[in-house]
This record gives sequence, C-alpha cells and structure tokens, in this order.
Amino acid sequence: MVQKKGARIPIYAVLIVAVLFIVLPFYMAVITAFKTPMENMESYFAFPKSLYLGNFQEILSRPGYFRAVFNTFYITVLGILGMVVIMPMASYPIARKMDGNRAYRLLYFFMLIGIFIPFQIKMMPLVKLAGSLGLMNVNGIILLYIAGSVCECVFLYVGYIQSIPQELEEAAYIDGATTLRTYASVVLPLIKPMIATVAIKDALWLWNDFMMPLLILNKSADYWTLTLFQYNFKTKFSSDPTLIMTSFLLSMLPVLIAYLFAQKHIIGGLVSGGVKS
Amino acid sequence: MKQKRKVNWEREITYLLFVIPALILYVVFFILPVGMGIYYSLTDWNGLSQNVAFIGLKNYQKLFTDSAFHQALGFNAVYAVLLVVCIVALAMVLALCLNAKIKCRTFFRGAMFFPAVLSMLTVGMVFNEIFTRVIPRLGELLGIEFLQTNILSGVDTAMYGILFVNVWQGLAIPTVLLLAGLQTIPADIFEAAELDGAGKWMQFRSITIPFLLPVLSVVLILTFKSGLTVFDLIMALTEGGPAGRTKSLTFNIYNLGFKELKFGYAIAQAMVVTAIVVVISYVQIRVTNKKKVY
Repeated sequence: MVQKKGARIPIYAVLIVAVLFIVLPFYMAVITAFKTPMENMESYFAFPKSLYLGNFQEILSRPGYFRAVFNTFYITVLGILGMVVIMPMASYPIARKMDGNRAYRLLYFFMLIGIFIPFQIKMMPLVKLAGSLGLMNVNGIILLYIAGSVCECVFLYVGYIQSIPQELEEAAYIDGATTLRTYASVVLPLIKPMIATVAIKDALWLWNDFMMPLLILNKSADYWTLTLFQYNFKTKFSSDPTLIMTSFLLSMLPVLIAYLFAQKHIIGGLVSGGVKS
Repeated sequence: MKQKRKVNWEREITYLLFVIPALILYVVFFILPVGMGIYYSLTDWNGLSQNVAFIGLKNYQKLFTDSAFHQALGFNAVYAVLLVVCIVALAMVLALCLNAKIKCRTFFRGAMFFPAVLSMLTVGMVFNEIFTRVIPRLGELLGIEFLQTNILSGVDTAMYGILFVNVWQGLAIPTVLLLAGLQTIPADIFEAAELDGAGKWMQFRSITIPFLLPVLSVVLILTFKSGLTVFDLIMALTEGGPAGRTKSLTFNIYNLGFKELKFGYAIAQAMVVTAIVVVISYVQIRVTNKKKVY
C-alpha cells in the first residue's frame, strides 16, 4: 500500500495514546510505592522526593510473602513439569493412530469435550472431590491443574504432531528402536517448539490464577499463592495505599522481568492457544 | 493403500501406557466432577450434610422465579455484549494501526500486549486503587466534578468501571490475533482493488473483513465467554456491589455454593451458564463458517 507520510500521524497518535493508557497504572503504582504515607497524602501525582524503601521492607519482612512466592513458584514449576511430560506423551499415540483406529479417534473427541465446558460447572464438585481425596493443599492443586490442562494440550499437540512427517520415526523403527526410544529421541525433539509455546502459556495461567487457589488453598496461610496473599493482604490493609501499591508491584515484578526477556515467546504462547477461555 | 500388518504388541502397549496417565486425570478430575455436578443439580444437597435428597428438576424450576438469578443473567448479558463490542472495535483499530508501515512496531506491540501477562486479580486491584483514590483526587485538582466520585460506587456506573478494566486487559490478545490475521492478507489484492478504484472503506469491507472472519470468530467466542464468566475482576473491584448491581453469574454461583450452602441450586445455575456458552460457541462457528470467502 502506498501511503503519504502525513497519513501516518493519526496512526502514531492512536498508538501513543494506547501506550499511555497502559503505562499510567504502572506509573501510579511505582510512584506511590516509593512514598511514605504522609508524602503520598501531600503530593499525590508527583514523583517521590526520595526513594523511600519502607514499604518494601514492611512487606518483605512478613514471612507470608516469601512463603507465597515459594508456593507460587513450586506450583508453577511442578505443574508445568507434569504437563510437559504427560501431555505430549498422550497426544503422540492419538495423533498417529487417529486416522485408522476408531478407539483413538473416539478418545480424541472425548478429550476435547472439555473445551466447551466452563470451569464454573465442575468447580464445586471438584472442591468436594479434592477435599475427600485429601488434595486441598499445594500438591493437590498441582494435580488439579494438570488434569485441567488436558483438553487444550491434547488439542494443540495432536494438531502439531500430525503436521510432522512420519519418515524419521519409520527410520528409527527400522533401525530397531523401541517405541519409547523413538518417542524420546526422535519425536520429542521435533515437537520442542510446541512444548515451549504451551509451557509458557500454562505457566502464566498457573502463576496468575486466582479462582482455583481461592477454592483449594484459602484454608491456611501456609498454602497461599501470590494472588491469594494479595487478596488477603488487601482486605487487611485497605487503608494504606502505599503499602498496597507496593504489594502489587512486588507481585507483578517476576512477570515483568520474564516478559522483558522472553516477550516474543510469551506473545506466541498466549496467542496460539486461542481455544482456552 | 492399507497394508495388513501383524499387530505390533510392543508399540500398542507403549501407546496405551502413554495415554493412560492423562486419561485417568481427565476422567477423575474433569468428567467425574461434571457428572457429579449434573447429579447434584437434581438434589437439595447443601455441600456438607450426609443427607442428599433427590428433588428432580426443582432447582431448575426455581431459576424461573429467582429474581437474583435474572438480575445476574441480565448483568452478564449486557456486560458480555458491551465487552465484545468494545474489544472487537478497539482491537481492530489497534491492529490496523500496528499493521501500517510504522517505526517501532515491535515496541508498540510489546507494550500493548503486556497487560495480558498480568494476573486479572492484580490488575483489578490496581484499578480499584485508581478508581477509589487517584481519579477522585485528579478530579479535585482539575475541578472536574464527575471525576470526583468513585465510578465503582455509583449504582449505574459500577459496571462501566469493571468493563473499562476488562477492556484494558482483554484487548491484548485479540489485537495480536487480528494483527497476525491482517499480515496473512496478500498485498496484491489491495493493489488490484486500488487500481479498480475501490476506496479505503470499500477495501476494508470487502477484503479485510472477509479475510479476517475466522480470526474474528475466535475473538468473538473468547471475549463473549470471558464476559459471561467474569469473576476475578468482580472480586477485586466491587464484590458484587453497589446494591448488588454487579453480581455476575459466576460470582453468584460462588456465593451460593460456598457461602450460602445451596450447593445443588448453585450447580443448576452453573448448568445454565454452560448451556449458554455451548450454544453461543456453536452458533458462532456455524455463522462464521457460512460467511467464509473461499
């Protein structure tokens, strides 16, 4: 398309306004977090006069914060690990056998039903079930997350594996490799890009999730994740804006850092899985 | 083409072992709860007691006369429609801007996508602070009256506060999806149209939109679903208030099930949400498939 130079000015204007809208909340959070409550009352929108770190000290000195960071980290890492091991493994036979085998085709559609089912419908029975199985804890929620990821993972992996030609696998079989061996050393390396994409997407889901922790982990402060910590912190300190903004900043920080380093992969990961609500 | 081959038992068994862990997890923690849900929706179970009485469709009958349910349904319907309209329109504008020949596209795209990686709860809470403290303060400074009241405490305005935050965060993924869709349209189609004398609006209507339909349908379904099931933002911004005006379906289901101990009834409401989501997804897919250009 041929465009005159002047025609682009409104485009830049729209984009800059959009970026300002996105940046403003962060600006407010950052400047508020570095002020004393008094200073915040006096000059709301100004830059802090000096870098006051008391708010950070206050929050970081609570044992609950590090506990929550640890729990969130633990849940995310182990959950993703489980998904990365189990889901491609389950998808591989389905992708390869679906076309000639009715049982596997049925299995595939059976596993996709869940895409249409919103979380609300199973949430209460799930809590009952988790309670009676002794899963209302950090390890239990990991299991629930892995189970909750089946539909979407199978959908994404099966599609991807089907697009990979089978010649390499055939060659491995002719060389006498077992199925497990072939899967581990031929198939897995080929689907690495998809694994990375899905893992990033699910990592953000687990890290940011609020509903499942609220249902499963809210019983004891030892189990709190970062979102729960924040939710409960806010209820307790609603009168102190500097402290609250600091807690927001602290919980956003890990994601912000991850985003700065892996922006391309994160965008790709989140956009690829358009099937999940 | 098919060859009759001896069954390779080693492979068949390995395949089966591959599938079993995922299948067990899926059946136990996905299919079973849904099945339990369907059953409990036909009972008067309160979630705690041992006595569960089967009451047939009574829970569903109650839905017809429950004004709180109707209010939530109305809230979600209006909310979801407004959300879809705002997000589709704004995401389209942003995607078209990002697709133009501009400098720093990567920067703009990166900045606009950032809200998508944040937790909805955190975003909701930051904006709660902004609505309750920052904007009224700004209104005082500038002497603008309508800014001085908290949008979330107004009976008629609270929903728009939630909507704003949802759009702020929810724009990111649709924008990038639409941008990716725009980049797949071959440039020579536009050149040919230009030669034929088609204006920009004409080009947009007869080339861009038809090409984007598949992506648009995905965006529509995703956004509508998120509008129908909004929960985190309500918890972070209004907790259903003021005067119960922002009680969404999911918020009600959560409260009924876990606070008011009307387990069976709550699940009956969840069933209705599910039915709506399924029907809308289905209609959406059918309609968009028919309109495809090729």
